Amino acid sequence: MKIRTFFDLERIRAKGISFLFPGKLKISVGMGSCGIAAGADAVYEKLSETMKTVVPEGILNKTGCLGFCGEEPFVNVSMPHKPLVIYHRLLERDVPELLEHVMRGEHYRQKVFCKMDILENFMLPKALRFGDGYPDFPSIHDTPFYSKQKRIVLRESGVIDPESIEEYIAVGGYASLLRVLENGSSEAVVKVIQNSGLRGRGGAGFSTGVKWDIAHKLTSDLKYIICNSDEGNPGAYMNRGEVESDPHMLIEGMIIGGFGIGATDGIVYVRTEYPLVVERLRQALEQARYYGFLGKNICNSSFSFDIHIICGAGSFVCGEETALIASVEGFPGRPRPRPPFPSENGLAGKPTVVNNVETLCNVPVIFAKGAKWYSSIGSESSKGTKVFSLVGDVKHTGLVEVPMGTTLKEIIYDIGGGGIDGRKIKAVQIGGPSGGCIPSHLFDLPVDYESLQGSGAIMGSGGMVVLDEQSCIVDVTKYFLAFTCGESCGKCIPCRRGLEHMLYILDAICDGRGSMEQLAELMEVAEIVRITSLCGMGQAAPNQVISTIRYFKDEYEVHIKERKCPAGVCKSLL
Amino acid sequence: MDKKTSDIVLRYKGQVGGLLCILNEVQETFGYLPKEVLKEIASELAVPLSQLFSSATFYSAFTLKQRGKHAFHICVGTSCHIKKAPDILDEFSRLLKVAPGNTTENDEFSLETVQCIGCCSLAPAIGVDRGVHGHATVDQVPDIIKKYKGTT
Amino acid sequence: MIELYVNGVAYQAREEDTVLRVLQREGFDIPTLCYHEALKPFGACRLCLVEVVSGGRSGITASCALPVSQGLSIKLDTPDIVRARKMLLEMYLAEAPQSQQINELAEKYGVTRTRFVHADTSASGSRCVLCGRCVRVCNELLGLGAINYTGRGVSTSISTPWHEASDVCIGCGACAYVCPTGAIEITDLPDLRIMETWQRTALIIRNCKETKQGIATEKGIDLLYKLLPDLPVYLGELSAEARRTFIATGMKLLNRT
Repeated sequence: MKIRTFFDLERIRAKGISFLFPGKLKISVGMGSCGIAAGADAVYEKLSETMKTVVPEGILNKTGCLGFCGEEPFVNVSMPHKPLVIYHRLLERDVPELLEHVMRGEHYRQKVFCKMDILENFMLPKALRFGDGYPDFPSIHDTPFYSKQKRIVLRESGVIDPESIEEYIAVGGYASLLRVLENGSSEAVVKVIQNSGLRGRGGAGFSTGVKWDIAHKLTSDLKYIICNSDEGNPGAYMNRGEVESDPHMLIEGMIIGGFGIGATDGIVYVRTEYPLVVERLRQALEQARYYGFLGKNICNSSFSFDIHIICGAGSFVCGEETALIASVEGFPGRPRPRPPFPSENGLAGKPTVVNNVETLCNVPVIFAKGAKWYSSIGSESSKGTKVFSLVGDVKHTGLVEVPMGTTLKEIIYDIGGGGIDGRKIKAVQIGGPSGGCIPSHLFDLPVDYESLQGSGAIMGSGGMVVLDEQSCIVDVTKYFLAFTCGESCGKCIPCRRGLEHMLYILDAICDGRGSMEQLAELMEVAEIVRITSLCGMGQAAPNQVISTIRYFKDEYEVHIKERKCPAGVCKSLL
Repeated sequence: MDKKTSDIVLRYKGQVGGLLCILNEVQETFGYLPKEVLKEIASELAVPLSQLFSSATFYSAFTLKQRGKHAFHICVGTSCHIKKAPDILDEFSRLLKVAPGNTTENDEFSLETVQCIGCCSLAPAIGVDRGVHGHATVDQVPDIIKKYKGTT
Repeated sequence: MIELYVNGVAYQAREEDTVLRVLQREGFDIPTLCYHEALKPFGACRLCLVEVVSGGRSGITASCALPVSQGLSIKLDTPDIVRARKMLLEMYLAEAPQSQQINELAEKYGVTRTRFVHADTSASGSRCVLCGRCVRVCNELLGLGAINYTGRGVSTSISTPWHEASDVCIGCGACAYVCPTGAIEITDLPDLRIMETWQRTALIIRNCKETKQGIATEKGIDLLYKLLPDLPVYLGELSAEARRTFIATGMKLLNRT
């Protein structure tokens, strides 16, 4: 059935509410890739078998990722008119005990992590209330991991069923799209995004409104909007979590964007290493088509649009927009000179807007709450929130969403819980292979585009790897150089030969064969690669070297002059 | 053109991004990109064979040779790297007697590295066929291999 | 007409010009490798770098791909560019040590030694700099695609599919003609043209019945007839003089002089 009006949407909303609040026991297992890797699929199987006999009237379904990945598997238990109770580290062997309690209307306290009274997802005029009770379970907002987060992109991740469009609609989904199409002005759409201050979440931080405006203003028989889901930064998996947990927010954001620029087609380019993302997205697209959110004359408007998925084939540089476009065109992912910019001349020479997953996931909320609300969050230059993958040598790991402007200290210590086993944290690597290391004495730095750039790192797509005294900065730098060198497309000589040479020097240093002259040469080559490379990957690849020599020169010198590795990592120096 | 190939080509011919989708499906279906299949595709789509070979040798997901029955993908992303993924890779290499990027003599196992499967909180992670082992240790390696030996 | 500034001095440009075209027209000596007037800008060699001061995205960029715009102001040979160019030439010396053209270019800018190590993985041995001109002429201009890039990163090379002799190559020699470093070798025997660099692909040459000299390869002639059906029916009984007239006619028909 096609949804054409708010009345139609309200009917499906009611259906979705009955799924979310079925009036009986409901158990939801967190089935993102992290959860599954931690054993959630075995938990789901066990529950599926045993619930039939122990609690036959109970409902079992899947949910996405709550973000506290280090505590997976997560299981949510919902009883009528009671807060949602969230269990952590619940394995297959814990299932019988859990059901023992739950069939009596009680909870298995040992494994309870927290409760959720209300779901504030900013999409509804009033937050959804689960219920009251369980005074001795901590509220999710009071837990150290969640209290400082502001979950706008991850607003319903880990709560709704990613395989149910009705649940998405129940929490306010697709209302923004309907509103936008009813209003009928693509100009207005572009204006709202411009006023919101939304900037590209893929790393470059370019104004999304400006990009959309350029494409919007051009007349063309064909126009494309491409969602870049090629998330190649090792250590960063925000986009994976976002799509696996809430594929419809991406779809809705993309349709609104498509309408805004006047696109004829939408493409989601997903890296091949994310099969669950492809599966969830494929299913969600079919559901969206069924309800008429994709296809001809969407919701009674004159706007016709559809989205299809294209998988990458293992190439980091395809995250660069011109390389991505070349890849979609059937060529190897080799970047092309800009100008011309894709917004004017992209896929098959047509205006093409390339946006990161997270950028588009922000769009429905911006239209629900307004540009003014959105721009009141964050810092002067960087509006809204950012999702980070907080991983490495830190107690609490997972996907963390904070307002721009939050300090590194707050993220790593307040949310992350600080070092593991009392070890001292040395630095945080931000921005992946295009970023750099920020030393602990600079952790008062606010997280926003300009501040991070000034420090020698970049925001990047959100990868945040914490390094303690057991990690070797020189080794981590060598690791990133080996990565970019291996991913270099080979088109331009500075990236192709320059990175190889830099790696050669780093190898020597880690091997006890380095000299101070070579260190100077490393810096010299880094500078040239940075200013002469054809694309962003080559230009940013030296950041890691430049930032670590700036802040950790002493570590390099110990490797060179004393032939020692203070962290005990470089094998030849032990 | 054999039926499998023509089905794949028909499914994507004329679509934007079709060629990349075709190559992905050929890799998935045949386990590698066979020369004869690429020749047929080049002819059918009127695309130079050299362009297909260029893509086949550019993308790391594509192989020109058959992979093993089971593929171990050792994640070497940043989080896994600092949690000793290189040691795990070495152990696999030692026990399987094969260098990363290669297949064992009996064609049973392929050992490859993968640049981040996005399970960074469960580092170090290993992808086996379609599944993922999180929090892997060097000691677990013999058991992991044993689990897949002799199975399909 | 558009006005742009080079080192502070105003120059006139046409709307469809790139900055490099203007610079070349005005007699500036800008080094290039991957640029060719008959091909789309590629931006690979990084030698034609200029610095945009105002009127566009500021910073160092390749002039071959930079479109002119009213009020654009660029600087040539800034200290950064001079330094960068020298190191790029060091890299080129390591990449193609046997190429006379690369050695001469490097020397022109004062670069006679290199700190970079040459790891020879390129199919053309030690003269290819991967500028891509051969690939682009074969694919873009001739629409044949006998050769293309293979591999990636430091293992990139230019070759034929599966590094086998090509059945698509017509032996026109355009690749060797546009190669700026002498990396492509062709051997012409009385009846056979051998594209040495492309896995010794051999093409039969049609000889003039009169002069016994080679006219073109059979495959090349086939393509010519396909592109220009109005040509005289049999190409092979022309004297050297008539051959010249024939080529001139053909070029006119193709609208090129």
